[in-house]
Amino acid sequence: MTREIFKLSMFAFILGLLLTSCGNSEPDDTGLNTIDTTNTDGELTEDMFESPDADYTLPSPLQVASIFKKSGLVYHSNITNPTTNGDKYTTELRQMLNFGVYSADMAYCVLNEQSNEGRKYLTVITTLAEQIGMEAVFENEDLMNRFDANLENKDSIEILMIDIHVRTETYMDENDMHHLSAVQFAGAWTEGMYLGVYDYEKNKKKENLGAQITEQMSILRNIIKGLKDPKNAGMELGWLITDMENIQSAFDGFASVVAYYADENATELILTDADFKALGDLVKALRGKIINA
Amino acid sequence: MKKTFTIIASFCFVVLFAQTASNLTEFKENIETQKVEAKDALKPYRYDGSKVTYFNFKTYKQTKEVEVYLFNNTDYRFSFNGKSLPNDINVQIYDEDVTITNRILLKEFTGIQGKNVLVETTELNKTYETKKPNGGRLKRVFVSYAIPGVPGAENKQPTMKERGAMVLVMGYKI
Repeated sequence: MTREIFKLSMFAFILGLLLTSCGNSEPDDTGLNTIDTTNTDGELTEDMFESPDADYTLPSPLQVASIFKKSGLVYHSNITNPTTNGDKYTTELRQMLNFGVYSADMAYCVLNEQSNEGRKYLTVITTLAEQIGMEAVFENEDLMNRFDANLENKDSIEILMIDIHVRTETYMDENDMHHLSAVQFAGAWTEGMYLGVYDYEKNKKKENLGAQITEQMSILRNIIKGLKDPKNAGMELGWLITDMENIQSAFDGFASVVAYYADENATELILTDADFKALGDLVKALRGKIINA
Repeated sequence: MKKTFTIIASFCFVVLFAQTASNLTEFKENIETQKVEAKDALKPYRYDGSKVTYFNFKTYKQTKEVEVYLFNNTDYRFSFNGKSLPNDINVQIYDEDVTITNRILLKEFTGIQGKNVLVETTELNKTYETKKPNGGRLKRVFVSYAIPGVPGAENKQPTMKERGAMVLVMGYKI
């Protein structure tokens, strides 16, 4: 009997403790949706609600296209990645990269008032999003109808593109997919640079355009950093990182770049034609690897 | 007896787990709402992107920094939303990253907790020009969040009252 009373008392005590925990309005979150690592002091150093100490932002493909457009970039037909290539991208990496490539192409077409071309890119982007598992970005709203209704209204289509960008960002944020944004942006950046370099070679008024190509190089280091995120380890990004690092090294080695960083008072970095040629060749080679699966 | 105890303990674990999940879901949903609010405040600037910086208040001071690009002599507006901050923090904007000892402080403000604050690069460029004549226009800035130490904070296992986030939304002038 005494033993039964003791058992009941212990049970009541433990139950009381558990129920107190259940009723706590501010419980510990440890163990839920968190990826914890512990430093030597035994403190939590990483979880999905703990950003890195040094972080960065990347511009939208629309802004990159807008920058080039404002700098005098001229539209050339048939230089974007053909939408018929969309079916060739069967791996997650190729789909992610070319999602970025096609986003840049769509922005290029829309800003140059080639809405019908832009519409084709929206279709292929939607298909790739489904394959990547991001179909939710394009759900619940008939983007194609909205696009069609505004074919002649560049501003409305630009706003639609911003909506797609916001929805993509939100989706990635909600699903802890930040690490993949660098992969998508690597595709968009390469395509944007390719379009810029292509026009630079043809455009006679290329001074401003050259300055913008140079400016876009400032993003590359952070793209590489993003690609090297340990969460991307399973994507076989080695070749992409190597090619991007080669572009960065070539750029850092240009005499004009070395001189710019050596001079504290220098405000503008101006590359030579030979620099642009070397940079352009590397960008074109990388772009070829990305779009030719 | 043992079976009853196991059932009750499992039930409590499920309740605890569900409540924790609910708190974190609410935290994320609030951030999405604040992002929309910050985006709306950008107008008439055109939305370019956002960066949510998550952190946990600890017993000691911490710093989180975000690099933001400013392209093509374009004017930008930054919309900072501090409505997911359980405590106030100090926001500083510099021309260089934390490794550069003589970097220039372009703007500093506190009182962001519970508010949405706008900063424009025209103002930052003016300050930069004053502090570094002939420096040209800013091509990027570094937004630094100085997160103060909170006595009694749970450093190892942060609770909801220690979780914070700063929402930064960027827009450019068309």
